[in-house]
Amino acid sequence: MIVRRLLIANRGEIAVRVIRTCRRLGITPILAASSADLDSVAARLAHEVVCLGPPRSLDSYLNIDAVVAAAVRVRADAVHPGYGFLAENPRLAAACEAAGIAFVGPTPAQLAALGDKLNARRHAVAAGLPVVPGGEADDLESARTLAAAIGYPVLIKAVAGGGGRGMRHAHTDAELEQSLPRAMAEAAAAFGDGRIYLERFVTAGRHIEVQLLGDGATVIHLGTRDCSIQRRYQKLLEEAPAPGLAEDLRAGMEAAAIALGRHLGYRGLGTVEFLFDCEGGRFYFLEMNARIQVEHPVTEAICGRDLVEEQLAVAEGRRLRLSQDTVRLAGHAIECRLNAEDWLDGFRPSPGRVTCARFAAGEGIRLDGHVQADSQIPPYYDSLLAKLIVHGPDRPAALARMAGALERCEIGGVANTLPMHRALLAHPAFAAGGVTTGFFERFMAEQA
Amino acid sequence: MMAKIELIDVSIRDGNQCLWGAVALDTAQILGIAPVLDRVGFRALDFTSSTHMGIAVRNHRQDPWERIRMVRAAMPNTPLQFIGTGLRFISWDVAAPEFMQLVYERLVANGIPRFAIMDPTNDAEALLDSARMIRKAGADEVVAALTFTLSEVHDDAYYAALAARLSRSPHIDRLYIKDPSGLLTAERARTFIPAIRACMGGMELELHSHCTIGLSAQNYMVAAETGIAALQVALGPLANGSSLPDAQRVVANLREMRHTVDVDDRLLGAAAEYFSRLALAENLPAGAPQDYDASYLRHQLAGGVMSTTRRQLAELGLEHRFAELLQEVARVRADLGYPIMVTPYPQMVCSQALFNLLGTERYSNVSDQVIRYVLGKFGRPSAALDPNVLDRIMGHVRTREIAQEGAPPDLAQLRRRFKPGISDDEFLLRATMPPQQVDAMIASGPAPVHYNPRVRPILKLLAELMSRPAVADLTVEKPDFRLALHRSPREPEHVR
Repeated sequence: MIVRRLLIANRGEIAVRVIRTCRRLGITPILAASSADLDSVAARLAHEVVCLGPPRSLDSYLNIDAVVAAAVRVRADAVHPGYGFLAENPRLAAACEAAGIAFVGPTPAQLAALGDKLNARRHAVAAGLPVVPGGEADDLESARTLAAAIGYPVLIKAVAGGGGRGMRHAHTDAELEQSLPRAMAEAAAAFGDGRIYLERFVTAGRHIEVQLLGDGATVIHLGTRDCSIQRRYQKLLEEAPAPGLAEDLRAGMEAAAIALGRHLGYRGLGTVEFLFDCEGGRFYFLEMNARIQVEHPVTEAICGRDLVEEQLAVAEGRRLRLSQDTVRLAGHAIECRLNAEDWLDGFRPSPGRVTCARFAAGEGIRLDGHVQADSQIPPYYDSLLAKLIVHGPDRPAALARMAGALERCEIGGVANTLPMHRALLAHPAFAAGGVTTGFFERFMAEQA
Repeated sequence: MMAKIELIDVSIRDGNQCLWGAVALDTAQILGIAPVLDRVGFRALDFTSSTHMGIAVRNHRQDPWERIRMVRAAMPNTPLQFIGTGLRFISWDVAAPEFMQLVYERLVANGIPRFAIMDPTNDAEALLDSARMIRKAGADEVVAALTFTLSEVHDDAYYAALAARLSRSPHIDRLYIKDPSGLLTAERARTFIPAIRACMGGMELELHSHCTIGLSAQNYMVAAETGIAALQVALGPLANGSSLPDAQRVVANLREMRHTVDVDDRLLGAAAEYFSRLALAENLPAGAPQDYDASYLRHQLAGGVMSTTRRQLAELGLEHRFAELLQEVARVRADLGYPIMVTPYPQMVCSQALFNLLGTERYSNVSDQVIRYVLGKFGRPSAALDPNVLDRIMGHVRTREIAQEGAPPDLAQLRRRFKPGISDDEFLLRATMPPQQVDAMIASGPAPVHYNPRVRPILKLLAELMSRPAVADLTVEKPDFRLALHRSPREPEHVR
């Protein structure tokens, strides 16, 4: 099968990103957009635009029937779901398959296996991966028993959740009692599935993930990323490879990720997330994201590959063009997510009109964005404006390049996180490398 | 007759060779358009030859095997073609058959499924030998050339007999009319193509006719009417001139004649535009449509050889004898049994004509290359040599010396010359190229893989500005475009 016409069922920077690869490959990119995005940068770059429905995500980007109907109407050979929205929805993948259209992603069965966090955990255990002690809790009573067994503090997670949404801590029985019903209600509202599970909370942990690429028969990895700079489980800055990691640990994580990929017979791009317990010196499987990640450019920078191109090749039914021994990782890359949020006011979203958008350019600097002067940031969707990515021969060079690049960027009209990233880059603990997921909270406290 | 016509693009190999001296187009520049070329719908791509592989090493310091692998990965749908001329790889020396067998095996293993084979004297035995070896190496498709020329012996019956012979081989899948000098007229094509097809037992025939004197655009249309399966074309600036007809023009003409061509027109345009932008960015000339030149049918000297010969005469102060030389070229060609004027023969025939013109007597001075040709070291000539000329050449002392030259070294002898443990791919380069060139290629490491002709001009501009610190501001304005550059007070980062 040859993909000639690709429907991109997403918006924002990832839509622009996929369009760019389409242009290079000679694929006709067709954007499926909500009515709020018909004048977006992605819509203007696409070859054709088809309207999915009204601005509200449920009526457009999350509407499976509308996406499949659009793909059929524009005679698309394949659907690229980007990340978020329906990217990991097995029903979309199955509906595409039924319509004879390739889904750029894993099989419906793989999506189902990984979308349910408890199920994913079972697969990880079966593949021999270490998991954080924990399990499912149906009610308060079973949660109390489980918490006693694994020990406080615990983390409450939604079984159907993802992207860090709906997670809560509990340090005591009383906190558990208070948080559990709210977590269940939130999970039911956000994911249509109120089931939750508990995990022991690792107090000093780093979020390290491994990029996988599979064709259903062969799975390879493209190295590690460190995503420990997070606020409420939302990643703000990522780097590749994960800094300051002993080689045996890095190799162990990569091997564990490959083991899971092989166990699943994985097809497409996927990310195996690990929690590295800095005190115990061990790592645990967290979850696997069955899609392209926001932070994929840092991996592209160090491996010199276009991951969207590789995704499309796999979707065309091809065997991997890379083998593990031909993957060469070089240098260090950092990505800063520039969000339309007021970082000094609780990260309050700041939609509106962008009056000025100037970004740095130059050797080793990449910008994946979707805004320009006069762009409208709609209030309906996430606040990501652009990702500034730098690559250098080593981490100090990459840090210096990022600091210089951030200085040369200017975004006006909407509050944004440019100043936060400048402050972060200047922080000695961050510059030293290897901070834990707790770092950002301390950093913010220092800003007050 | 309305037909479904396939296209084979020759831009990267033959277009590059005819118009850009084969030295343009490095790995990144090819990879920059490979995925688009792959989706156009070409039957195959004329991709490389031993000349191009040598240039990759010598001029680009890039591994030609790695280039094949990477381009193959980037274009899984379109077979890449290697064109070979028998027992020769990179070096002009004749190679042993087992050496060539290894060459073919490595080409197949690295990602070449289609081979075009040609012999400059249309030696059927030589073509059949090559086809057998290539098939043994595992190639999917072997396309043998009927190399076209004009002479007393090269009539329709001559080519029909050759086609009949080649098409009976189980190791040859297709034939193609290779008209390297662009001599085929529409009028001749009307008898020539049916005469050949009638003897091919249903095998498919392709046409490859250069634009040298502007004849090919029309004979391509005749070919479509007379049962050709595929036409070989080039893109944008790599078409016309001494290259092949322009793909977009051929498609438009075929459709005008109500033939079917199943290619993606938008991508065909995108690929042509890529090469146009690349030509602009790299200061490479674009092929232009050619004027008809009646004298060319007589001397058959392509532009490059013609200008070199004219320059040589001028250096000797003999420019006024150019017309005389062209007549002598035609005579030498007849004496030597009408070699087809394709490398290495034009150079050989021209220099012999020059010797004859300047010498006291014709053939008193004969080059080693002509002696080797006469001794059959290049294969069997198309027709008998003039007996008097043959006697004369055989009587030279030098002829006896060359006749005693030994056979090329065998594979085992060659392998012993290099350190053990090197890969076959490296061995084949080392066996045919100077060691310092192969060393330099290896020292250069993996070839760059990214190239975008759209940003080349701006990168060049930035690099120039960096070298001129006195320029603090630069503004370029034209309708719908404004570029303003301001020098940062801080030391700018290096721009490559």
